[in-house]
Amino acid sequence: MVRRVAITGLGLVSPFGGSTEDFFARLLAGESCVRHYTTDDKPRALCMPAVRCDRFEPDAVMGKALSGTMDRYAQLGFAAAKEAWSHAGFAVDDKSEKNDCGVAWGTALGGTLAYERGYRDLWQNGRERISPLSVVLGMNNAASAHIAIQFGMGNSCLSYTVACASAAAAIGEAYRRIRTGEAAVMLAGGSDAPLCYGVVRAWEALRVMAPGDTANSSRACRPFGADRGGLVLGEGAAALVLEDWQHAVNRGAPILAELAGYGATCDHSHLVRPDAHGQIRAIELALADAGLRPDEIDYINAHGTATREGDPTEVEALRHVFAEHAPELAVSATKSMHGHMMGASGAVEAVITVLALRQDALPPTAHVDTLDPACTGVRHLLGGALRGSGARVALSNSFAFGGSNAVLAIRTDRNET
Amino acid sequence: MNDELEIVRGFLRERLNIDPARITVEATMEELDIDSLMLLELFFEFEERLDVTLSQNLPTPKTIGQLIDIVKGLRRAHTGG
Repeated sequence: MVRRVAITGLGLVSPFGGSTEDFFARLLAGESCVRHYTTDDKPRALCMPAVRCDRFEPDAVMGKALSGTMDRYAQLGFAAAKEAWSHAGFAVDDKSEKNDCGVAWGTALGGTLAYERGYRDLWQNGRERISPLSVVLGMNNAASAHIAIQFGMGNSCLSYTVACASAAAAIGEAYRRIRTGEAAVMLAGGSDAPLCYGVVRAWEALRVMAPGDTANSSRACRPFGADRGGLVLGEGAAALVLEDWQHAVNRGAPILAELAGYGATCDHSHLVRPDAHGQIRAIELALADAGLRPDEIDYINAHGTATREGDPTEVEALRHVFAEHAPELAVSATKSMHGHMMGASGAVEAVITVLALRQDALPPTAHVDTLDPACTGVRHLLGGALRGSGARVALSNSFAFGGSNAVLAIRTDRNET
Repeated sequence: MNDELEIVRGFLRERLNIDPARITVEATMEELDIDSLMLLELFFEFEERLDVTLSQNLPTPKTIGQLIDIVKGLRRAHTGG
């Protein structure tokens, strides 16, 4: 028996500071949460466009005792997971054992702030010892472990580190566990908190970061634009509750959408230069898994990071797969507004895709005045949201350094069946 | 009142919002919800505040009083007192 997978809960930590619905409404309005970010780090302060969850208060969400045992990436992740779990109708204070429920979590960096704090103490501050929590704060499976502990999840609790595709891979692998009957419910998503000195300097060295100043940082990320200058780093988290369809029906859970397909491939060609061939295979696998033809896809939430090489490669893959349907294919890169949240991106964009289909309102690629001629051939949503197009079936693309590709197929046209 | 008890009170107030009045030598780790990880944090706090180095294999105290005795003993050994 092939099990269908329902999406029954969504959660997200909004950099705007409001709810998930508010976050989505602002994206529809083309509002950017990218801000100019400065620090007083020595020897050279950080000064760049970035996305921060400034209004996030971990103590208020989970209590001081728990938040103190988490790095910021885990705090963000737990907050998103808690919201999704509650949204799906589960009790967030119920720790009783649930052996048919599991966690799949994506993170590119894990608790990198904890590690950096330790390095500063040892090498900069001349200390001989560092916090005994350093290991459990820093480990890449901290977020997933905290989620499983707090909600009593006894099924698999796995973390996925696939750079920028981490959360998409986590969601896809969770989906497969439900499809095969190994789990009934999976809390899947991702989180990252990359705004620490060493990580930012490392990204700067790759020369893929968008420049910006106080006047124009909010418009710094312009995917597919002729004048695009690179990506914008951001912190964030999002989570989805995936559930065996019949399980959701039996407990009367509202079905928000169906996760209908997943494709995962590797370019196996280069660490940082993307390859359309690998992306094409991932898109085609997701379509085949979902039993969808290319002309049934209404919307693509593109990976679209605004790097010189990445954007045209993605559009090349879309043109190839969607062929004559490509000019009608609505495409947007919401990273133009929420930046690149690293391992969280795939989950944030999956949440956006679900809401876009449910509200029949597709968010735009913001801040782009002139398309790069190398990125043409699809229907880019520039200037404003597309409302009332009847969009019911979509893909969310995530393509990572290392050549790993993960594509999710999401639909809302069969929610009642 | 002593240095060690004040350190424990300050740490638990900051970390867990525990009322200092609840932190007595008779109070048990269990009733204060201090698990093994939190105990490591407390040992670390003593090392930082008292400038001592605690050994790797410390006994596991059941009460705040036992914890303080362990630290006092190590301080005496450290200073030769």
